[in-house]
Amino acid sequence: MKFRFHDKTIEAQPGDTVAAALYRSGQRIFSRSFKYHRPRGLLCVSGKCPNCLMNVDGIPNVRTCITPVHEGLRVKAQNAYPSLETDFLSVTQRFDWLMPVGWYYKTFTRPAMWHAVEPAIRKVAGLGEILPSGPREYEHAWMHAHTVVIGGGWAGMQAALAAAERGEQVVLIDDQVALGGQACYRKRMGPRPDAIIARIRAAANIRLLQNSYCFGLYEGNLLGVLQRAPHPGASERLIHLRAQQTVVASGAYEAPIVFPNNDLVGVMLSTGVLRLLHLHRVQAGKRAVVVGKSLQAGEVAEELRDGGIEIVAIVDPDTILKATGSSTVNGIQTRTGHFSCDLVVICGPRIPDNGFVAQAGGRIEWSEPQGAFLPTLPPSNVSAVGDASGEAVANTIAPLPTSKRAFVCLCSDVTSADLCDAVAEGFNHIETLKRYTTATMGPCQGRMCQLSAIGVCARETGRSIGETGMTTSRPPNPGVSLGALAGPKHHPLRRTPMHYAHQDLGVVWLDMGDWQRPRYYTDHLAASEEERVLLEYRAVREAAGLIDVSTLGKLDVRGADSGKLLDKVYTHRFSDLPPGRVRYALMCDEGGIILDDGTVSRISEDRYFVTTTSGNLDFVQQWLEWQICATGWDVHITNVTAGYGAMNLAGPKSRDTLRKLTECDLSSGSFPYMACREAKIKGIPAILLRIGFVGETGWEIHCPAESAEGLWRAILGAGHEFGVRPFGVATQRLLRLEKRHVIVGVDTDALTNPYEADMAWAVKLDKKEFIGKTLLAHAAKDRSRERLVGFVLQSPGVPEDGAAVVVDGQPAGRVTSARYSPAQLAAVGLAWVKTSLAQDGVFIDLRVNGELLKAKVTMKPFYDPEGVRLRQ
Amino acid sequence: MQLFSKNRMWRQHELRSSYDVVIVGAGVHGLAAAYYLGKKHGVRKVALLDKSYLGAGASGRNTAILRSNYRTPEGIPFYDASLKLYEGLSRELDWNLLFSQCGHLTLAHSDSSVTGLRVRAENNQLLGVNSRIIGREEIGNLVPSLNLSESTRYPILAALYHPPGGIIRHDAVVWGLARACDRMGIEIHAFTEVTSIIVENHRAVQVITNRGRVAAGAVLNATAGWATTISRMAGVPLPIVTHPLQACVTEPLKPFLDTVIVSATLHVYLSQTDKGELVIGAEIDPYQSYSMKSTLPTLEQMATYTLELFPQLHGMRILRQWAGICDMTPDFAPIIGTSQEVSNFYMDVGWGTYGFKAAPISGKCIAELIATGKPPGLIQPFSPARFETGNLVGEKAAAAVSH
Repeated sequence: MKFRFHDKTIEAQPGDTVAAALYRSGQRIFSRSFKYHRPRGLLCVSGKCPNCLMNVDGIPNVRTCITPVHEGLRVKAQNAYPSLETDFLSVTQRFDWLMPVGWYYKTFTRPAMWHAVEPAIRKVAGLGEILPSGPREYEHAWMHAHTVVIGGGWAGMQAALAAAERGEQVVLIDDQVALGGQACYRKRMGPRPDAIIARIRAAANIRLLQNSYCFGLYEGNLLGVLQRAPHPGASERLIHLRAQQTVVASGAYEAPIVFPNNDLVGVMLSTGVLRLLHLHRVQAGKRAVVVGKSLQAGEVAEELRDGGIEIVAIVDPDTILKATGSSTVNGIQTRTGHFSCDLVVICGPRIPDNGFVAQAGGRIEWSEPQGAFLPTLPPSNVSAVGDASGEAVANTIAPLPTSKRAFVCLCSDVTSADLCDAVAEGFNHIETLKRYTTATMGPCQGRMCQLSAIGVCARETGRSIGETGMTTSRPPNPGVSLGALAGPKHHPLRRTPMHYAHQDLGVVWLDMGDWQRPRYYTDHLAASEEERVLLEYRAVREAAGLIDVSTLGKLDVRGADSGKLLDKVYTHRFSDLPPGRVRYALMCDEGGIILDDGTVSRISEDRYFVTTTSGNLDFVQQWLEWQICATGWDVHITNVTAGYGAMNLAGPKSRDTLRKLTECDLSSGSFPYMACREAKIKGIPAILLRIGFVGETGWEIHCPAESAEGLWRAILGAGHEFGVRPFGVATQRLLRLEKRHVIVGVDTDALTNPYEADMAWAVKLDKKEFIGKTLLAHAAKDRSRERLVGFVLQSPGVPEDGAAVVVDGQPAGRVTSARYSPAQLAAVGLAWVKTSLAQDGVFIDLRVNGELLKAKVTMKPFYDPEGVRLRQ
Repeated sequence: MQLFSKNRMWRQHELRSSYDVVIVGAGVHGLAAAYYLGKKHGVRKVALLDKSYLGAGASGRNTAILRSNYRTPEGIPFYDASLKLYEGLSRELDWNLLFSQCGHLTLAHSDSSVTGLRVRAENNQLLGVNSRIIGREEIGNLVPSLNLSESTRYPILAALYHPPGGIIRHDAVVWGLARACDRMGIEIHAFTEVTSIIVENHRAVQVITNRGRVAAGAVLNATAGWATTISRMAGVPLPIVTHPLQACVTEPLKPFLDTVIVSATLHVYLSQTDKGELVIGAEIDPYQSYSMKSTLPTLEQMATYTLELFPQLHGMRILRQWAGICDMTPDFAPIIGTSQEVSNFYMDVGWGTYGFKAAPISGKCIAELIATGKPPGLIQPFSPARFETGNLVGEKAAAAVSH
């Protein structure tokens, strides 16, 4: 296999990671550090430290040490110019005295200076860059298990087998490519646990998620799991895994030791060296110094010798003065002498990886004998086993010498001297120390630095490590990509049953929430929106028009107590509505604020048909259901929105049109304004409501969704001889504005009550009880500050929706809707104004394109003010 | 030169038996109130009490966005005064708050949101705030990385552009104010939890803490998330409900986004810090809770919406997610003033999701109210009495998701 590293071609062996192949090819510097651009080489070789971050196939900050090689990968270094080997910005370390901890807070305190230097600082900061990358597929999956075990090492495998033997459904999550944990790369710990691995593979009730990591344990034992490359078609899959019992067997990871120059290239963690050696057959160096306490270091030295690495010396951390070398390590200086080498192997403290227990609400406390933070009071459905519980962990905390070259936080180049300075400045709590120095806040998420930072803080404040404590463990940890989190999610698009009929007619669409609605029709002819709307407008006013209103929320409300419920939630009265009648319905909250409006039709004695605004259906349904909770009322609410298509036929010729399709008597005598009927139209069962949003004789027709397109086409066909046209939302908005009909959410806002909106007629305060009554009664007496009024602009032009009403140069209201009205031959609209201006004939100033224009207030509709036409 | 000094930012003190003013909550609001009490009114026998470390609450959990392009004639001058104070604060405190006035863009994806933004632009312009509606081309020039394709589900139609808006380093504001307070002799008591407040004859006379009791000439409730808990101790009920709000950051990236981006339609707002991390915030969780645990569905939502705006970020890793808790009032405007029940119990609460940007001005105004007994005009609309007169402030459209 081959891949590209900048302009070089790198050969890789099967099973190689990008970093292993690069290391074998002789690459030693893998990144440049964040602040000082110091060269950094491989350290942990397990995806935990920040040292191997590169751009892979366009994606920045990729942990190359755990990224398998694929043929043709494109790998690039990041945060280094011109190259990893020569980085001009490494000059910054010569000026480290100018950049002590928190230097940016203490300099450039003049705004002008800060504005001048900030762009340069921004440019230098940051790590990777996004380069063009091919499409990637991300998936989501959901799983349940009785027991979930996090970690496929010894302890995890045993826990999984034990649970399986109890007959439980088990999911075992392992972040490595093969089960076995340390046994895969620590040959001296004994043979690979092949027998137990075979038993796990054979167990029918263990589901193994290999090459997958848990990134968070959330409320209710919900585990976020990221599965890498679940199949060739997907790069990542996020699994929502709900467990009854979670066993944290995530082991322990190794952290560095702090001494001057501890970040030189060639200073590596022992586990990193062993992983390179045993997983990738790569010798990290030829001559090594092993740093560690005798027993632990001795074992590592033996193993490296077995692997053909010469051991120059084993050095106790207490005796180290510094590592030597300019960018690559060439030796270790101790109190007893200098040891030349090309590799320093750090046997660092082993940190139990038990953050999940803390995330689940468990207590984590410092154990002095074990030198580790361990879970003490896990919640009942979470337990920790193996190294994660501290089982085989016994750390001796190495000294933390104060030096400007002893790096605690490798992600942000925070040294032990920086931490001491910060504590001296008063940042003596671990949480404020973290925020001031940014230690533990980088890509390693504290894995490499947390314990050392706590150690320095404890020493400098004279407290114990236990008293100092840890910072909060927060998911996701390890991090997880935005793509995996988003998954294949998309916004739904809702289409009405007549969608394709609109498309056939030629249409410009309008997004309204999830729905797509015709804005206006084009007849496939190019013409301006104004012209098309005028054409549709004239059809409605002079002949008839047909509009798709399927997006209206539709609720079927049945049962003996339906009237009682509707009386409670709406401001009008519905229990006394006779069957066959329709009433406008206005809904308010407890504060008297308008929530929604629609119509309520009483189809029969115990059956109501309720419509809501398109956007508020879900809310209204929940609200109604909430209001009947625990009342024992006999009410059944069914959302029939998707089951019904709906259209509104309006205009003087609507009766003639409809008459051709139905036997229902449509005369005003037997089917008056605000009446409803069930009838068949062209054989299709339908509910007809005689209502008039646009101010003309008209019917709102609801029919089964599957017949709606047919009915739509039939009505247009029948109306052809009369000049009936389809019309869209843009035209409807103009028509209703001429009638001064309010649209909730457009003309009202989150503070509007019906009195302010000039809809007092819709509130029946003499009703015994309904939601909002108390405050509405108050509002009815109190003169509110603002009122919604109509206006006619006194000069040419049309104010935009949202234009300001201005009094004495100050904002004093706003235009909610304004259109050119063919009926008035001027722009008309609705606006919020101070109550004192809410009188017929008063002039107000509107700000149109920065100029003030006069408009005349009117409290009456702009078209057919007496409402004669819609009753005809 | 302070660059090379290692002076303590603020000292620790024993709790004294009495103070002229006891401020509950040492976040940005409490600190700003103390700072202006000391600086403008010479009131320095002041104690700030906080139950945790400094900046543990909302001051350290917000997404640090500053702006003044609000909607109402009450809100706009108030937030604008706050922004102006912030502009001078780095210099005044001799502490760089890293205030980056990089510009603030609120995106509109529908005609109705364009209308909503126009109301704000018009009112902003009338009141002297730099804010205007811009079209797709100008948006593209300001944010070249933004997905302006017309084939997305909700294409971007326009934006409200507010050049003076931007981001600041929130912790630095806390620390800078704390240092300034300390230098005036004002005492900061971290890890000092108020457990009850003794009220006699309609006056708060004593504050009981886990470190002892202190007598107080005046008590200011400057908490966020616990406003109702503290006020209830003084017998003052508040019309507030508390919701969590979550945010997250990605790993650092080279400069990618140089303005603040807000999309109410997509319930998301984001900015990039000088360190390179993208900070992403969500709207408040739909349920009431005091929990500060983050949740997976909200993280997934933030990721989904972020990728709608910036699909090229799909491989970026989220580094941290956290939650804060927000005290929501019925009209999305704060409660600033004296309580009617307890005459020397002051409140600077109900800050919802927008408290951080208002800290300097509300601190300044409440300090004036405490020192002089007269509420400055800027905070009069936010008096707790409005819930009895019904004169609510209609700021929801500009405050709810629009950070």
